[in-house]
Amino acid sequence: MSLLEVRDLHVAYDVDGSLVRAVGGVDLTVERGEFLGLAGESGCGKTTLAMAIPRLLPRFASITSGSVVFDGVDLTALDERELSAYRWNEISVVFQGALNALNPVHPVGRQIAEPIRAHDPKVKDAEARDRAAELLEAVGIPARRAKDFPHQFSGGMRQRVMIAMALACRPRLVIADEPVTALDVMTQAQIIDLLRSLSEKYDLAMILISHDLSVLAQTCDRVAVMYAGTIAETGPSQEVFGEGADGVGARHPYTQRLLRAYPNIHRDRVFIDGIPGSPPDLSQEALGCSFAPRCLQAFDRCRTEVPVLRATGQGHVAACHLLDEGLGA
Amino acid sequence: MTDDTAPLTPGAPADLAVDPVPVLSVEDLRVEYRLRKEKGRGHLVAVAVDGISLQVYPGETLAIVGESGSGKTSLANAVMRLVDTAAGRIMFEGVDLARLRGKALRSVRPRLQMIFQDPFESLDPRRTVLETVIEPLVINDIGTAEERHRRALEALETAGLTPAARIGERFTYELSGGQRQRVAIAAAMILQPSLVVADEPVSMLDVSLRAGILRLMADMRDRLGVGYLFITHDLSLAWMFADRIAVVYLGRVVEEGSPAELIGAPRHPYTKALVSVIPVPDTTVSVDRVVLTGEIPNPTAIPPGCRFHPRCPLYRELGEPEECRLVDPVLRVVETGTPTSERATYRVACHHAPRDARTTTGDAVAATAEEQTP
Repeated sequence: MSLLEVRDLHVAYDVDGSLVRAVGGVDLTVERGEFLGLAGESGCGKTTLAMAIPRLLPRFASITSGSVVFDGVDLTALDERELSAYRWNEISVVFQGALNALNPVHPVGRQIAEPIRAHDPKVKDAEARDRAAELLEAVGIPARRAKDFPHQFSGGMRQRVMIAMALACRPRLVIADEPVTALDVMTQAQIIDLLRSLSEKYDLAMILISHDLSVLAQTCDRVAVMYAGTIAETGPSQEVFGEGADGVGARHPYTQRLLRAYPNIHRDRVFIDGIPGSPPDLSQEALGCSFAPRCLQAFDRCRTEVPVLRATGQGHVAACHLLDEGLGA
Repeated sequence: MTDDTAPLTPGAPADLAVDPVPVLSVEDLRVEYRLRKEKGRGHLVAVAVDGISLQVYPGETLAIVGESGSGKTSLANAVMRLVDTAAGRIMFEGVDLARLRGKALRSVRPRLQMIFQDPFESLDPRRTVLETVIEPLVINDIGTAEERHRRALEALETAGLTPAARIGERFTYELSGGQRQRVAIAAAMILQPSLVVADEPVSMLDVSLRAGILRLMADMRDRLGVGYLFITHDLSLAWMFADRIAVVYLGRVVEEGSPAELIGAPRHPYTKALVSVIPVPDTTVSVDRVVLTGEIPNPTAIPPGCRFHPRCPLYRELGEPEECRLVDPVLRVVETGTPTSERATYRVACHHAPRDARTTTGDAVAATAEEQTP
């Protein structure tokens, strides 16, 4: 059994009384200790999908159908009280923009100790303090700095504090939403190395959300690429970003085009490509493939029939009619 | 309309053996910020730019690459005269911007424009697109109302905002990020500047939109001969877009040269480390990543000797030579085998970096990329 199985999940936003589908039928699994990258451009639904897992969606968003099975238990069927046994204890979140999420008037050690005590009232103050110090050391911050305030830390160090907080209750799954986005390239490398080593040390599974495919390529075991609220492609990083066993990399035209939007210093110096057009209006029901209007390879079927995910390799699936037609994306 | 799919040669393959007159020549620039007063000790001074010299030639892009705290934004702001300079000269079209005030400064402003990082903040949401693009003409009292209108429509067309008449009527807040940045570029270009300072012009945009904006900028460079001072933290974008790259660390240029040489075979240990951690969406290459520990030191306490030595892997590898702790290295010329004009000169500020082309080892990932480019 996988640690997490998301099945046909639909999430809708209530916009002035009408429903807009933010996530439209997503299947996703995460294995124990696995590092999964969740990629996509702004508005593709990656954050909505991720926040639907521990049910931390904003008030105007709701799961309309589907299930989120964590270690055999469907979280969508639990009430708030039952859920609290999972939130932070089993699944924790490093929120986007977390650099500004720390409370400026409390020392960081106290902020790390807070979730420990909140989720286990039996824990004594001294014990929570010790554990906070231990967590700081684990994320590469000297324990003596527990007394310092957030403004005394740099952006990279504050992100480390946020990661320590996420680990406070020894979860098995950490969802990190754009954890390195506002950081410099060297600090990014430091934080990514830290996440990988923590994942190994604590046998943590991680969902790393990023708009930046290049960051995910060298970090994640597997990557899922989202477009317009659905998964366009999921596969091992080695296949999506490389040349898999069959010599073919990414299979979905969206992923392929997105990859050409990054300069690659290891290849010829050519100008990057863009993807003209813009994602579809999600308040309208999709007729065919949501990428078809921007896809250079689209044919009649793409405009009338929504493609489903098809296997295209070991653990590699893509939602594209080209695969079905034997044309090979 | 810029065609996003047409092949385009990156950089401008100019004749490097000839030096035209630079449009911008920064000479030994220093920018300081006075911080709070320490008890009985006067002001604490942060030195953001500590003696930077550089040139931008017409129709060329010089990328300034650095992490936050490197001083790259202070440098851009000094050139734009948004902050004062403590020392040095900023020669622009024959005059020293650092000394210009009032009317004299305003008279050169049209030739010196800026594109900001965030098109959601840099445009006034209460203005229409047309008003935004016309404004620079109004401020500088150029043309009749009719001429301004015509020029603004042309500028919108050139920026890929078509049909210009219809988009011109919309308010800037109604536009997407990519469209807004096109409006910002149209407004910056309408006065036909000779230098544009572009501060992270695509870092706020979705990846799929970046190419369109950069193509537009490249198009303007080739068509109008505008020079860019391109400020970015993104080394791989600089590699693709710029003609030359200067890497800055704690207020100093530590390495300067062509993208192919600087990214393909970096010489300064800081550049080497930066290049090694550039993320690429490609798992077929394996690079020995050099992840530096710590962060850029505080500019109120710049380390003595080489300012990079406390974090330098080479310093440790060489057994912590005294020279690195005591002597501030100068940015010296190294031989690379390419023509030795001012513009093609390769410079490194390190006591122990390889001194000529022969001793360059490096894995030469893209050392020959320039030749391969059609």
